[in-house]
Amino acid sequence: MSSTPSESTTSGHDTGKPVGLSVNGHDLLFPPLPYDIHARADKATADKQLLDFVHVATYRKDVTRRQVTSAAFGEKHGDFRELGAAIKQHTLDHLDHYIEKFVDNATAAGVRVHFAQDAAQANAICLDIARRAGAKLCVKSKSMVTEETQLLPQLEAIGVETVETDLGEFILQLDHDAPSHIVTPMIHKNRQSVARAFERELGAPYTEDPQELTQIARAHLREKYRKADLGISGGNFLVAETGSVVICTNEGNGRFCTSAPRVHVAFVGIEKLVPTFEHLGVMLKLLARTSTGQPLTVYTHVMTGPRRAHEHGGPDEMHVILLDNGRTEILKPETREMLRCIRCGACLNACPVYRKVGGHSYGAVYSGPIGALITPMFRGLANYPDLPNASSLCGACYEACPVKINIPKYLIQLRAEMVSKRITKWSDRLVYRMWARSLGRSWTYRLGGWAQKLFFRWQARVAGTLELGDPYRSRGWLNDLPGPAGGWTSQRDMPTPPAKSFRQWWDEQNRP
Amino acid sequence: MSNISDTPASLGVDRQTFLKPVRQALGRISGQAVPAPPAVDPQLVRLASASEDVVSLFAQRAGEVGMTVCRIKSDELIRTVSELLEKVGAKRVAASVGSLPQAVSLNDSLRRKGVEVVDWRATPGFAEQYGLDAGITDVHAALAETGTLICSSDAGHSRGLSLVPPVHVAIVRQSDILPDMVDYWARLRGIPGRELPSSQAFITGPSKTADIEGILITGVHGPGQVFIVVVEGV
Repeated sequence: MSSTPSESTTSGHDTGKPVGLSVNGHDLLFPPLPYDIHARADKATADKQLLDFVHVATYRKDVTRRQVTSAAFGEKHGDFRELGAAIKQHTLDHLDHYIEKFVDNATAAGVRVHFAQDAAQANAICLDIARRAGAKLCVKSKSMVTEETQLLPQLEAIGVETVETDLGEFILQLDHDAPSHIVTPMIHKNRQSVARAFERELGAPYTEDPQELTQIARAHLREKYRKADLGISGGNFLVAETGSVVICTNEGNGRFCTSAPRVHVAFVGIEKLVPTFEHLGVMLKLLARTSTGQPLTVYTHVMTGPRRAHEHGGPDEMHVILLDNGRTEILKPETREMLRCIRCGACLNACPVYRKVGGHSYGAVYSGPIGALITPMFRGLANYPDLPNASSLCGACYEACPVKINIPKYLIQLRAEMVSKRITKWSDRLVYRMWARSLGRSWTYRLGGWAQKLFFRWQARVAGTLELGDPYRSRGWLNDLPGPAGGWTSQRDMPTPPAKSFRQWWDEQNRP
Repeated sequence: MSNISDTPASLGVDRQTFLKPVRQALGRISGQAVPAPPAVDPQLVRLASASEDVVSLFAQRAGEVGMTVCRIKSDELIRTVSELLEKVGAKRVAASVGSLPQAVSLNDSLRRKGVEVVDWRATPGFAEQYGLDAGITDVHAALAETGTLICSSDAGHSRGLSLVPPVHVAIVRQSDILPDMVDYWARLRGIPGRELPSSQAFITGPSKTADIEGILITGVHGPGQVFIVVVEGV
């Protein structure tokens, strides 16, 4: 069993060309709206190096996930996913109850719980905590929620130096870049760009050795942990029964950020709740194996309140900022299932579209199939009209999802909503309508098939590719169709129908 | 209980205001009954059981995630630990205060062998720990199924000793090795009225990253080497 999927020896890419699309981190995740996917997707698909990187990395992770989950769970895998889905669904179905329970128990354990309905409130609460603590230096571990609220520039603006400490996020911060994958944020960058960033920003000697690069980061960030007076983390789970915050990390920066500074602030979305430790255990068993193929992440840190009087190390103050920021909109019955997501990233790794366009093409904090669902929900369907269509509906994401979110079903639901709300272009809607009409009646279907056959075979005859012979088998090939159909033939040939159709063959066979 | 934080209202909202849209989306009213959550059937969730050779399974799985395991008798503890420290060149160390290290007077024994043993409790926080070559801890439990060490915080156990120094030496009592995480939760529940520690760290391997081109590197922020000494018969 390959329990450490990341043990790979990808050969160095020595072209020296930076992999990545832009260096403006903010615009990458918060582009002007409405967002048009095409410019970035075209750029990404034309970047062979980026494609190689993302494709190889995601493909490997996807294979590892299959191997590791089948080795660990065997025949139980289906039941495990059912249970994981049921736990999250139950908690969401009664979320008010579990939020109350969590708040009571966390408060009893000494946590200050804050309630933020949107990003602005969450950031304001955090800035207030930072001011009261007189914070000068903040160390931060990985948190998608703080990407969502765009916390960092605000902390910097009030004079709190804020350092990302997850190695990938640290490098992205130095390069003014943005994460392109929920779990492996700098999946789109190569070692040369890291080497240059460290040389430029840290004054480190240029080296392309990942081991040396890591040691440079370690030494630099240790000094930050020593001096930091504020630590910020996200939260993978909240345990209602005990008021615990759980973070799952591999590098150890999460433990530092939540233990070394005097004040710890956790930003957590309300969908992260689970009822009890036993339920947490089920989710932990699913998360790491599905995400990175590990039995558990190296550090699974369960935090229940600040340092006790008799304890040594740990924050004197612990704050949890519970964030809504559009989640209650998704909590409605029609879309609630989407909130089961535990951000494992398996759907990104499994997705043939993500592999081809990379995370930044989605133009949002959450990318990949789950991002294509929740981004339009968070930020408006009319603002992200391309995302529900950025899927082949192959279902690989659904199959990979540890909590069985039926992503293809909801993508179709969003597409239907786009048509009913007239977000889809009128010309597209007209085509859909005509299509539905012609497929809905036998004679229109036959007429359409006949017209298509005539047109294609005539085109093939002109092109000289029409095969003659068996009327049921021989066909022709088109490689240059006009108009919108050219989108098909730019990638592959279009076969013409044979001279006689299946229906004609059927009638001939059954003729008395 | 609704106004538990001293944050001015303008910076956030109070609990009931926050819960209002939640209840609206759910179609629930405050205090409405909640059915029991899905049962966690141990038969399903358990991936390792006591019928197996739990110690061997633990050693195997801990090895798979990159930790080094040795199994000894209790009278070999001092020798084993000092040999490990010598092997990694650790001259300045600190140890947790637990019954197992104390029973063999670990600190004094190491000092007699010329190792500088720092009293980490003399200064608050991790200040004393950044300069250490190794941290030695006993653990509160270990999980065979995943090869996991569980280090909880209490008066004798700093959060830092298993995190800050570049080498972590973990002393594990054989009887503390539980087959599966299910058994750990059951054990926690079996101690009624006990206050939870502020920190329970489940450690499954040395500190790792694969952020740069997917290449596995150990020792990013936490220890790059973890040695586990399983003491049999206790």
